[in-house]
Amino acid sequence: MAEEKKKPRTPPDPNSAKYKLNQIAQKAYTDVQEAKARGEKVGWISSNFPVEIPETLGLYVCYPENQAAGIAARGGGVRMCEAAESEGYSNDICAYARVSLAYARLGSAPEQDMPLPDYVLCCNNICNCMIKWYENLAKELNIPMIMIDIPFNPDDEVSDAELAYVKGQFLAAIEQLEEITGRKWTEERFREVMANSCRTSRAWLEATAMARYTPSPFNGFDLLNHMAVMVTARGKPEAADAMETLLKEYQANHEKGESTFRAEEKYRIMFEGIACWPWLRVTSTGMKSRGINMVTTIYADAFGFIYDDFDGMIRAYCKVPNAINLEVARDKRIKLCKDNSVEGLLVHVNRSCKLWSGFMSEMSRQIGRECDIPVVSFDGDQADARNFSEAQYDTRVQGLTEIMEARKEAAV
Amino acid sequence: MTVQELLNTFHAAASDPAGQFHKYLDAGEKVVLTAPVYTPEEIIHAMGLVPFGAWGGDLALNKSKEYFPAFICAIMQSILELGIAGAYAGASAIVIPSLCDSLKCLGQNWKYAVKDIPFIPMTYPQNRANTVGKAFAKAGYERVITDLEKAAGAVFSEDALARSIAVYNAHNAAMRKADAAIAAHPEITASQRSDVFKSAWFMKKEEHTALVNALLEALEKTDGDAGRGTLPVMTSGILCDSPSLLQIFDELGLRIVADDVAAESRQYRTDAPEAGFAPLDALAEKFSRMDNCSVLYDVDKKRADLIAETAKARGAKGVVLVLTKFCDPEEFDYPIIKKSCAAAGVPLTLIEADRQMVNYEQARTLLEAFRDVL
Ligand code: SF4
Ligand code: SF4
Repeated sequence: MAEEKKKPRTPPDPNSAKYKLNQIAQKAYTDVQEAKARGEKVGWISSNFPVEIPETLGLYVCYPENQAAGIAARGGGVRMCEAAESEGYSNDICAYARVSLAYARLGSAPEQDMPLPDYVLCCNNICNCMIKWYENLAKELNIPMIMIDIPFNPDDEVSDAELAYVKGQFLAAIEQLEEITGRKWTEERFREVMANSCRTSRAWLEATAMARYTPSPFNGFDLLNHMAVMVTARGKPEAADAMETLLKEYQANHEKGESTFRAEEKYRIMFEGIACWPWLRVTSTGMKSRGINMVTTIYADAFGFIYDDFDGMIRAYCKVPNAINLEVARDKRIKLCKDNSVEGLLVHVNRSCKLWSGFMSEMSRQIGRECDIPVVSFDGDQADARNFSEAQYDTRVQGLTEIMEARKEAAV
Repeated sequence: MTVQELLNTFHAAASDPAGQFHKYLDAGEKVVLTAPVYTPEEIIHAMGLVPFGAWGGDLALNKSKEYFPAFICAIMQSILELGIAGAYAGASAIVIPSLCDSLKCLGQNWKYAVKDIPFIPMTYPQNRANTVGKAFAKAGYERVITDLEKAAGAVFSEDALARSIAVYNAHNAAMRKADAAIAAHPEITASQRSDVFKSAWFMKKEEHTALVNALLEALEKTDGDAGRGTLPVMTSGILCDSPSLLQIFDELGLRIVADDVAAESRQYRTDAPEAGFAPLDALAEKFSRMDNCSVLYDVDKKRADLIAETAKARGAKGVVLVLTKFCDPEEFDYPIIKKSCAAAGVPLTLIEADRQMVNYEQARTLLEAFRDVL
C-alpha cells in the first residue's frame, strides 16, 4: 500500500476506457448543469427508468442514486443521512433515498452537486421504495412526477397483460414529458437510441464475460465503477465507444496474461449486492490482500438491455434484477458463477435494500448448493457508513478464504 | 345481546385467531389466508372459501430469521414464523399481494419455507386509475382465480362474485357506521374498539356484519357516556392491535375516535360498484378508486391531508402515528404527515411498535407526555 502511494501519477491516457468512462460519468453532471443554466427543464431519474425515453426526447436528466453513491464514497453519506433524519426520516430508510431527500432540501453537497429537478422520472422495477422516495421529492419540491409502474413479477415470463400495462404507461409517460418539456418523440431518433443502447450493452456483456478466463483480465471492482455509465449513458454513442474500448482492453489483457486485478488471483468469487461505497477501499483491500478477485456480480448481467423493438425494450425493463422472482434471479447468478468458475459467494446484506436482502438468504443457499461453493455474508450498507463493521467484514472474508483454501487443498 | 355481550363476542374472536381458524376447518370449510394489505377477498369468498387474515402475531422470532434479515418488519417475519411453525396447517393457500418490497420477499420465501401451503401472488397496478391499470388489475384477479381453482379445487362464477361483492359492501358500510358510532360512545375503550376491527379478519364477513349491526342497534339504545373523562385521539399506521399498547391508551384515558390504520378503516373506505360493471370489472374499478394509503401510489400525498381533516372532523385532539418498525412505506409518509398536521394545527406523536415488543414503557412515557400537552 505504502509503495503504491509513492508512485508518480502518470497522466491518464485519453484513449483508455477508464478515461473515456470517467469523462462520460462527469459529463452527465455538467451537461445537466449547463442545460439548467440555459433555462431548460431538467429531471431526476431512477436508475432503471427506461433511459431511452429521455434520451429520445433529448432531455437532460441526472441520477440521484449515482449522486448518493458518489457522496457516500467521498465520505458525505452519514452527514446527509443525518440531515434527512433531522427532518423525520427514519434511519431504516434506504440510505440513497435519505441522501437524496436531504440534498433536495439543502440544494448542494460539496462531494457531488447536481441541479435541482423540474420534474422526476420514477420507475419502481427495482423497488417500491423508489415510489415513496420520488413521491416525497415531487411533493417537497412541488414538481410533476412521471411514474412507470413495473411490478415485481412472480412468474418466470413477462405476461402479455404485464406488457400491455407497462406499454400503456410508456406511452403516457412520453406524452406527459412532451407536454412538460415541449420536446417531440420521433421514431427515427428512438431507433438511433435503441441501436446505441444495444451496442453499449453488447460490449458490456462481452467485456464482463471476459472474467471466464483464469486469471480474469479485470478486477471485479471495475464493474462497480463502470456501472454508472451503463446506468446513465447507455443510449449515447460515446458510451458504446467507451464500452467497446473496455472490451478491447480486457481482450488485450487476456492475450498478454495481464489484469487490472493487481495481485495474484488465488480465489475467484461472486459478490452479491451493491458496493459499500463508504468502505470501498476497506472492502476491496480485504479481498485483494487475500488474493480474492470478485470476478462477477449481478451487474454484469443487469444492464445488458438488448432488444429489437419497442415491445422488446419494455420486456427488457420488466426483467431487471429486482423485478424477477427467486428462481429466475437464482438461475442468472448460477449461470454467472458457473461461466466464471466462481469458488465462493460473498453476500452483502445491505441494510438499505429490503428487496435485495429480503430473500437473499434462501436464494444464496440454493446457489451455494447448486454450484457447490461456500456462501458467506456480511452486514453492510451502500451509503450509511454507520451500518458496517470492519471487524465483522474481515472475519467473514477470512472465513470464506479458509473454506476456499481447504477445498483447494482437498482437491489436489 | 347487550352491548357488553357483543363486545365479549368480538373479543373472543379477535383474541383467538387459532380457535377461529380451526372452527372453520373443523366445520369442513376451506380456508385461504390473506396477507396485508389488500387482497381480493370477494373472489375467495365467491369461490366458497373462507378468507382469513394473516397479519402475523406477537411471538418470538426464530425460524423466520433463516429467511428474513433482521431489518424486515415484524409483520412479515411473524407470518413466516407462524407458517413454518405449522400454525396455518390446513389452509388451502395464502394470497400475498406485492404492494411493498417486504411483501414481495414474503411471497418468495414462503415458497420454500412453507411448502405445503401454496403461495398465490396478487400483483396490483400502482398506476391504477386508468384503462391499462384496470385491465392489469383484472388480469391479476384472473390469475388468483386460476390458482385458487388449482389449490382448493374451487369453482368461480361471475354471479357468485356479484353476490360476494354485495356481502363485502354491506360489511364495509357496517364498519364505517361502527367507526362513527364508537366515536360517539366514550364508554367503548380503545381495546374494545380494536376487537371490533380485528375480529373481522377471522370471521366470515356475513357473520361479522350481523354482529356489527347488532352492536350498532344496541348502541343506539344506550346514551353515550359522555361523563367519562377521556381524551379523543385518532390513530394512524399499518397495525394498532397490540393488547399491551391499547391497554396503555385505556389506562391513560385516550379514546380512539377515528383511525387511518391499514388493518382497520383503510380496508373499508371504498366499495366495488354494484351496477354498471361486470363483477370482475367492478372489483378492478374498486381498486382503481382506492387511495390515501402508504402502499398505494399517491403523488399528491392526499393521505397526509386526510389524516388532519379526519382528526378535526371527529374532534380528535391529536393523532398517534403507530409506526411498525422497518415499515418503509409508512416511514416515508411520516415527515409529510407531520407537516400536514402541523399546518392544520393538529398535534401528532409517533410511536414505534414492534410485534415482539415486550416492554411498552417507552410508548407509555410518550403517550403520557402527549396526553399532557393535549
Ligand atoms: S438500494 Fe434498494 S431500496 Fe434503495 S433505491 Fe436501490 S433498490 Fe431501492
Ligand atoms: S408493515 Fe409495512 S413493510 Fe411490513 S408488510 Fe406492511 S407495508 Fe410492508
